[in-house]
Amino acid sequence: MRIADKTTTAVSLVKEALEKAKKYEDKHIFVSLNEENALKKAEEIDAKIANGEKVGRLAGVPYALKDNFLSKEGNTTASSLMLEPFHSPIDSTTVKKLEAEGAIMIGRTNMDSFAHGSSTENSYFGPTKNAVDDERVAGGSSGGSAVAVALDIVPFATGSDTGGSIRQPASFNGVYGFKPTYGTISRYGVVAMASSTDCIGFFTKNAEDMDLLMEICAGQDENDMTTLPDYYSETPEKPAKKIGIIKDFDNDAVDQDIRNVLAEKVEFLKNEGYEIVELDMPTLKYALAVYYIVVPAEVTSNLSRHDGIRYGYRSEDAKDLGEIFSKSRNEGFMSENKRRIMIGNFVLSSGFYDAYYLKAQKARTKIIEEYNKAFEKVDYILTPVSPNPAFKLGEKVNDPVSMYLEDVMSVPINLAGVPSVAVPVGKTESGLPLGLQVVGPRRSDKNLLKFASVLEGDK
Amino acid sequence: MKYIPTIGIECHVQLSTKTKLFSEVDNDARGKEPNSCVSPVDYALPGMLPRLNGEAIKFAIRAGRAMNCEINASSRFDRKHYFYPDSPKGYQITQFYHPIIGAGFVELPDGKKIRIEHAHLEGDAGKLTHFDSYSLVDLNRVDTPLIEIVSMPDMHSAKDAHDYTKSLWRLMCYAEVTNGDLYNGNMRFDVNVSLAPEGSDELGTRAEVKNLNSFKSVERAVEYEIKRQSKILDKGEKVIQETRGWNDATGETTGQRSKEEAKDYRYMPEPDIPPINLTAEFIEEESKKLPLMPKDYKEKFSGKIADDTLEILLDYPSLMKKLAEVKDVKRVSNWFASVLLAEEKSAEYLNDLPTAKQLDDLSEMTEKGELSSTGAKEVFLKFFDPQMAKKEAKVIAKELNVIQENDLGELEKIVDEVLADPATKQAQEDFKAGQEKVIGFLVGQVMKASKGKANPSSAQEILRKKLA
Amino acid sequence: MKIKREDILHLAKLSNFSMSDSEIESIGNDLENIINYISELNELDTEGVEPTYQVFEMENIWRNDEIKEQEADREALLALTKESMQDQIKVPKVL
Repeated sequence: MRIADKTTTAVSLVKEALEKAKKYEDKHIFVSLNEENALKKAEEIDAKIANGEKVGRLAGVPYALKDNFLSKEGNTTASSLMLEPFHSPIDSTTVKKLEAEGAIMIGRTNMDSFAHGSSTENSYFGPTKNAVDDERVAGGSSGGSAVAVALDIVPFATGSDTGGSIRQPASFNGVYGFKPTYGTISRYGVVAMASSTDCIGFFTKNAEDMDLLMEICAGQDENDMTTLPDYYSETPEKPAKKIGIIKDFDNDAVDQDIRNVLAEKVEFLKNEGYEIVELDMPTLKYALAVYYIVVPAEVTSNLSRHDGIRYGYRSEDAKDLGEIFSKSRNEGFMSENKRRIMIGNFVLSSGFYDAYYLKAQKARTKIIEEYNKAFEKVDYILTPVSPNPAFKLGEKVNDPVSMYLEDVMSVPINLAGVPSVAVPVGKTESGLPLGLQVVGPRRSDKNLLKFASVLEGDK
Repeated sequence: MKYIPTIGIECHVQLSTKTKLFSEVDNDARGKEPNSCVSPVDYALPGMLPRLNGEAIKFAIRAGRAMNCEINASSRFDRKHYFYPDSPKGYQITQFYHPIIGAGFVELPDGKKIRIEHAHLEGDAGKLTHFDSYSLVDLNRVDTPLIEIVSMPDMHSAKDAHDYTKSLWRLMCYAEVTNGDLYNGNMRFDVNVSLAPEGSDELGTRAEVKNLNSFKSVERAVEYEIKRQSKILDKGEKVIQETRGWNDATGETTGQRSKEEAKDYRYMPEPDIPPINLTAEFIEEESKKLPLMPKDYKEKFSGKIADDTLEILLDYPSLMKKLAEVKDVKRVSNWFASVLLAEEKSAEYLNDLPTAKQLDDLSEMTEKGELSSTGAKEVFLKFFDPQMAKKEAKVIAKELNVIQENDLGELEKIVDEVLADPATKQAQEDFKAGQEKVIGFLVGQVMKASKGKANPSSAQEILRKKLA
Repeated sequence: MKIKREDILHLAKLSNFSMSDSEIESIGNDLENIINYISELNELDTEGVEPTYQVFEMENIWRNDEIKEQEADREALLALTKESMQDQIKVPKVL
C-alpha cells in the first residue's frame, strides 16, 4: 500500500483512485463516489504531513467501502431501494478505525441488495461486471469491492462475509479476500444480514496489506457484544506442517480448472515439505441446507426493522399504517430479499421450527465438531472457494437453488465461525481468475494469512 | 350454577436501572420530552446491536429472590417478532426459552401461597398517542428493562387477585428493583380469568384482560369477568378465548375486536447477545443484597407497631427503612400513621423523609415532656415543609414556640397570676367545695396564659398545692 | 413437499408483503424449490445433538449501568423519518 509521505501526497493518491473509478464506470463498481469529502480529507492529511504532525498507518490511502457499512459520508443503501435514501448519522466501527489511521473512503461499492446473493446481480442499481470479463459476474455479495481492488482502483476495500460474500468475489476477480474468525472485527454499524455468521473482512492485493488491516480493525468493541478481546496482534507464531484436503469437495460437480489448480497446489505444498492429509468430513454436504435455514431465519429477523416508519423507503401508495408496512416492504425489497425473508418465516413458524430451524442448529453442532476433529489432524484445510470460476451474467439469477449451490464450499466455514482466506492462485485458459481458500481453526487468523502468502508463491 | 373462578396473572415490572436494557440512555423518561431518551440502538438504525445492562441481571436476581424463586444459572435472550410502530426492531428481545428466574411463590396476607411459574427479562415497547387522523410515536420507553412475572393459576377470587398484585408490588418495591409508580405504568397486569362448574376437574375457557395498572382495577376486572362469564355459562353458551380491554370509567371489560388469529411470534434465540451462565457465587452475592422484605419488617416491629397500623405503613417501603433506623419505633410510627391516615397524604409525601436524627430528637423531647403531643405533631409536620425540613427538631420547636414550660418557678408565677384573676374566683371556690372537675378549667386557663407552653400535668400539680 | 398457495399467502402475511397474485405464484415456485432443497437435511441424524445458536465462545458479556452521550441525538434520528411532529414520529392513525 502506498502511504502518503514526502514522496507522494494523499491528494494525488485520492485523485488517482477517483480517476480510475471513473474510467471503469461501465463496470458498475461503485454506487456512489465520495469525491468532495475524500479530497478534503486528503488535503487535511497532506497539511498534517507538511506540518510534521503524526499521521496514521493508512495516511492518505484511498479505499472503497461496501455499501452496507454505515458512514456519515454519503448514503448507505445496502444497494437496495429499501434504504434509499438513508443518510447515516453515525459511523460503523470499522469506518472509525480506518479513518483514525488516515484511510480515505473514495466511494461505496455495489453489492447484492442486503448482501443476499452470490453475483452482485441482486443489486437495486444493477450488476457489477467481472474485473476481467464484462460478460461475467463479479461474484457476490461484495462484488464491487472485489473488482475495485482487482482493477487497482484502491489498494483495499471492505467486505462482509455471511456465507462467502468476500471469498467468492475475491476468487472470481483474482484478489485476496479474508473472512476472519467470527467476532474478530466489530459488526457495529454494518447492515446486519445474519448475526451469527456475519463477519467483517477485506479485499487486498497481498497478505501483508491484509495483516495490517487486521492489526488496525480487529479487537473488542463495546458496541458489539460478540467481539473477541484482541488476540490478533498477540498471536504467537506457529508454522504450519500438515495441510488437509477434503475428499468430498473433489468431485465432478467441481469445474476441472479448479480441480487442476488445487492438484497443482497440493503438489507444490508437498514439494515444499508439507504433509497433505485427506479429510473425511461427511456432514459438510449438509452445510448448505443448514445455511439456507439458519441464515434466512436471522435475515427475516434482522430485516424486520425496515418497515417504512423511521427511515428509508416508504411507499407512495400507502394509505394506512398497514400499507406503510406491507407496501413499503414489498416494493423496497428485491425478489431475493423476499425469498429469504419468507423462507426465514417458514422455518421459524410454529409447526416447522423443530423440523427446520432447530434441526439445522443441531446439524450446525455436528459441522463444528467435524471442523474441530479436522483441526486435531491438520493445521489448515485447503479447498476451492466455489465449484466454478466466474459465471455468465444472467446464468443463475433466475434459479435461486443453483445460485445457492455457488456457496456450497464457503458456507460451512461461516456456520463454524472459523477463519478463511481466499488466495488468487491461477487463471483458467480463457484468463478467468482462480482462487483457493485456506481455512484455519478459530483465532489462527494471523498465522493463516502468513501461510496464505506461501501458497501464492508459486502462482 | 355455582362456578369456581381460576385466575392467573402476568405482571410487567419496569426496572429502575439508570440506563435501558440494551443502550446507555436514561431509563427514567418521566417528565422528559418525547424521544429525548432514545439512542441509535433504540431507534433500531441498521447495524445497531444491543448492549446488555448488567445491572438488569442483578435486579432480576433480587426480584426473583423476593418471590422465593430459583435463579437459573443459564439463561439467554430470544427475539419475539411482530410489526408495530412502537417496536422499532420489529421484534422484542425477551427470554422465551431460558428465563433467568425460575419457580417460586408469593405469600398473600391471608397465608395463601401463589406459585410463580417463572419470570423473565425483556425490553418494553414505545408509546403511541392517538389523534383523530394520525398517531404519534414516542420511543422513550423502548427497551426499558422489564421483568415479566408469570403466576400459576392459583387464585380463585377477585380478592386473591387484588392481594396477589398488591403483594407483588410490595415485594418489588422492597427489593428496590422498581420505582413502583403505578400511575406511570411501572407495573402492569394481564389477568386471565376462567370459570369452571364447581366440582369439575377441567378449567374453563379463559379470557385475558390486558394492561391493568392498579390493584383496584385488577379486583374490579376479575369481579366483572366472573359475572360476565357466569351469565354466559348460565345460558349454556361458551366463553370465547380472547383478549379484553378494561374500561376503568364504566367498570367493564370489552372484547378487542381485532380478529383473534393465533399469533405466530416466530421466537428465535437472540444471536447478538451471548448466553448468560452465572456462577453460584455470583447469584449468592447478589441474593445477599436483597434488602429487608415486608415479612422481615413484620418480624422486626412485632409488638412495637400495632398489626393494623403496620399493615398501612407497609405500603411505604422507604418509611419502613426509616423506622428501622429510629430509636423509638412505636412513637415515630404513630406519627407517620396519623399523618398518613388523618392528613390523607399520598405516597409522594414520603419522598423526602426526615432524618433518623430529626425523628430521634423529636422523640426524646416528647419523652422528656418538653413537647406536648400536639406540639410534637406540629413539629413533625414541619419536617415535610420544604422551608423547614432540614432544620433540627429543637429549632423547629422553638420557631413554632411549642416548647413546654417546665421551669417550675416560672410556672408558679403564671399560676399565681391565674389565681389572682377575678375571673377564676368562682372556679376556685367550686374546687375547694369539692367540685373536682373544675381543675380542668383552671389548668386550661394556665395553658392559655402560658400560650400553650406550660406542661399541663405540672400546672395541675401546682394548682392543687395552692388550692389545698 | 408441495407448498400450497395459502401457505405462501400466510408467509407473505408474516413477512408483511403486499404481494400481487402473480408475485405470489412466481415466488411460490421458488420457495417450493428452496424448501425441497433444505428438506434434504432430514437425512442427517441429529439425535441427541445439542443445537448451536452462536459460534462465539464467550458468555456473560454485559456493561455497566452508566448513562453515556449518544452518537446521534433526537434531531439527527427524527430527520430520517418521513414525517415528524412535536418531536415524535407521525404515522397514520393506528386502529
